[in-house]
Amino acid sequence: MSQLLRRIAISILFLLVLNPDSLAADQSQEKEPVIDVIGKVVDHDYLELVGGVKVYLPRIFMADGEWYFFANTQSAVDSGEFEKTEAGLVRTDGERISLDMSITSHLMYVWFGMLLTLFLALWAARKYRSGVGSKTEPKGISQNLFEVFFVFIRDDIAKEYIPGDKHKKFVNYLFSVFMMIAFMNIFGLLPWGVAATADLTVTATLAAITFFITQWNGSKDHWQHVFMFPGVHPAMRLILTPVEILGLFTKPFALAIRLFANMLSGKIMIVCVLGLIFIFTDIFGPAVGLTSSILWVGLTALLYILKAFIALLQAYIFTLLSAVFIGMAVEEHHHEHESKVATTTDVHV
Amino acid sequence: MGFLGAGIGVGIIAIGAGIGIGLIGKGAVESIARQPEASGDIRGAMILTAAFIEGVALFGAIVCALLALNITT
Repeated sequence: MSQLLRRIAISILFLLVLNPDSLAADQSQEKEPVIDVIGKVVDHDYLELVGGVKVYLPRIFMADGEWYFFANTQSAVDSGEFEKTEAGLVRTDGERISLDMSITSHLMYVWFGMLLTLFLALWAARKYRSGVGSKTEPKGISQNLFEVFFVFIRDDIAKEYIPGDKHKKFVNYLFSVFMMIAFMNIFGLLPWGVAATADLTVTATLAAITFFITQWNGSKDHWQHVFMFPGVHPAMRLILTPVEILGLFTKPFALAIRLFANMLSGKIMIVCVLGLIFIFTDIFGPAVGLTSSILWVGLTALLYILKAFIALLQAYIFTLLSAVFIGMAVEEHHHEHESKVATTTDVHV
Repeated sequence: MGFLGAGIGVGIIAIGAGIGIGLIGKGAVESIARQPEASGDIRGAMILTAAFIEGVALFGAIVCALLALNITT
């Protein structure tokens, strides 16, 4: 084994020496980058299917109070109304596009995630209504798996962090958001798939939903803590109130950034490590690129396992933090109770 | 200049996040050793806290990536 490794190392060294233009490779300054990392992770106007088949998606614009519908980007350019630039499509007459409702690959994957979650929920609901699982034991692998996830969300997340009976209201949301994020993350593991959560728009939308649910269900005490922090000097409230108001918004903001950055960094890492093959080929020649690919493909396989773990972990963390924030908002404190206890002890003393 | 800033920034982020998560791991392992029956709760709290640190660290990493990629929007 060690001899094999030594031989591989020696052959790489040999090939390095053999390749005289390895030193001359970076002479030209304005060279095209070998791999387009960012191009791999941004949103596209097409959906890639198995085998690299591209399905171009509709473009929908609103400019100057008028709606434009096109079957794909090419037909939008052909119509003469729009033209392609570096920053995307723009109007030929210089008019600003006020609303871009184009269907993109990330949006398609969000829809796939939603549909799968919806089907899962409807399927499970029908099963439980027919008596399987509710009156008898759950049957089959899929229903047992569903129950594992559902009970986990309900008991370990919702019941634990949302106090009292109130958790029942939020189990639905927490379970659907967990499943949806998990599905979207796992789509990113497919070779032609895209992780829709590696887009800030998607995660920000999800975080905004959590934000609105949190504030909508905020108890009296929650708002009192924001605007009139109890038990402190009135002058202190001048500082505390802005901080608390800021805190309302930073929580969902951090939620969105965390999911986005985790999924994006995983994606960039995979593209970069696999891209090393092409970079090595470009610098040292095809032989070194091919030999080193053993290492990079192995590393990518390991990264993939890590990414599969992170896909579920991030869905869990998003759900957990949503539950924590909701729990903090719906919780009812009992300040007047504390003060009453204090006075009675005073009397006794 | 952007490259330099991004490189130094990522290094500082790695130091900060490493110290933070290391301290969490230290605390968690110590408390599990002291009270093995509470390991489930401790693990949950550990993941939660690590997620907060990770969020801040990744936030910095994104800023550095934007610097390095020279995205000016």
